[in-house]
Amino acid sequence: MAKFPSEEWVNAFAEKLNSNPNYEDAARKWEGAITFVVRKDPAYDKDAYLYLDLWHGKCRSAKFSFSPQELPTAQYTYSGPYTNWKRLINKEIDPIQGILTGKFKLEGSMMTIMRFTRAAKEMVATTSMVQTEF
Amino acid sequence: MWFFRAPTIVFGEDALSYLSTLPIRKALIVTDRHLRTTELPEKVSRALPEGAERLVLGDVGEEPDLDEMTRHLDQIRKFEPDWIVGLGGGSSIDTAKILFVLYERPDLTVYDTTPLQPLGLRHKSRLVAIPTTSGTGSECTWAAVLSERQEKRKHELASPEIIPDYAILDPEMVVGLPVEQTRNTAVDAITHAIEGYVSTWKNPFSDAMSEKALELILGNLLIVLKNPKDTAARNAVHVGASMAGLSFSNSQIGLAHALGHALGARYKTPHGKAVGIFLPLVVEFNSSACQDRFDRLNALFPSPVRAGSLAGSLKKLFGAMGQDATVAALGVKREEYFAALDELASMAAESTGLVTNPRDAGSAELRELLTQAYGEEG
Repeated sequence: MAKFPSEEWVNAFAEKLNSNPNYEDAARKWEGAITFVVRKDPAYDKDAYLYLDLWHGKCRSAKFSFSPQELPTAQYTYSGPYTNWKRLINKEIDPIQGILTGKFKLEGSMMTIMRFTRAAKEMVATTSMVQTEF
Repeated sequence: MWFFRAPTIVFGEDALSYLSTLPIRKALIVTDRHLRTTELPEKVSRALPEGAERLVLGDVGEEPDLDEMTRHLDQIRKFEPDWIVGLGGGSSIDTAKILFVLYERPDLTVYDTTPLQPLGLRHKSRLVAIPTTSGTGSECTWAAVLSERQEKRKHELASPEIIPDYAILDPEMVVGLPVEQTRNTAVDAITHAIEGYVSTWKNPFSDAMSEKALELILGNLLIVLKNPKDTAARNAVHVGASMAGLSFSNSQIGLAHALGHALGARYKTPHGKAVGIFLPLVVEFNSSACQDRFDRLNALFPSPVRAGSLAGSLKKLFGAMGQDATVAALGVKREEYFAALDELASMAAESTGLVTNPRDAGSAELRELLTQAYGEEG
């Protein structure tokens, strides 16, 4: 079990991504890093950052920090409060509907993102493959 | 949490006259090359409030690209319309939507039209859509399709803010629609209703729209094709098509649209024809994920065209309508098509329709469906 969010969790997630053929297929043309930002809320007391360097269907590196300055700048960020992340990983929130209903915020080139919605879906589906402890 | 979004819909006989009640000072009317030569733009102009100024731009082509859509933007900015009226089929209404975005927000690019961020429209103008085809549903939806000729792709744009303020469904506007377009656009509407009904974002509101849309379209389409001047049947299909648009706009499209957009962009196949070729195949592919829902829809087919399965009924209906059932029937050469298969699959994979399709489809499944779609001929 890996505690979310943590270094251990982001590494376990990267491993799952790299062994998920559906993600690899959907993201085979994807080039760009993304940072998952976990915002503090009543259930979690500080912001946390999970950085993923994604390239052609693979995760080349993964990093975790409580400080964004300690991480490379990513082209995309997907951020939301801790409780919403928990619901997302538990498949209670659809990742795209999550943005449209204000539960998550996405920043980066929308034109590119809109061509990779299946990759985004597969990436988020992979979060629930990690044995997660909250 | 989810939403049901819709314009104010003015429908039925004489619906066009409602335009005169709107506080319009300067109307931009966006229409296409074919309609420009008909009486319809003048009919719309006459329905505007007395004293309203108008600018008619009547050169939207079929499935336009960005240059075609925006070539008059400077003229529009100088005219300063307070209402933008899209008059026509999907191409005209989608062009009106894009012009609406770029007129309201000159700092944005067309690709900013995504539902993932607020656009902040309606500071200068409002949007009205008056469809002259019964199928696209664009008058009621958050979607606009932009062709990208060089890349041979269709870019799917969407935002809740480009849902028109008013959709005016007047049967007079479709009574003269040629049979070929009536057929293709109706197939598009049927596809919207079915894909919206089984989308992973389906909801009770979209369900209701899909079911009623199919009831209206299936009960009247063959009558319209036999007697195009039957206004009551035309009205039913027209309203049904908008309801199908409301369904998918609030629940999303699926795999038939993903594949249809890829095919249409490459071979310039009319949109309804393209999605119609894939729909029965996609229904068969999806049936393991939503058989009960398909059975419910199949029960809505009139007995002369109802088969034992939804896919079977669709084939029967499309056959009765004289709709092309395969890519081969479009005249696309086998060698050319199969050489392009990977590219077509890759284009389809970029569609948002894949995300909300009830069954996951990767590259292998897309290739298989594209292969099946070619058919036996050729």
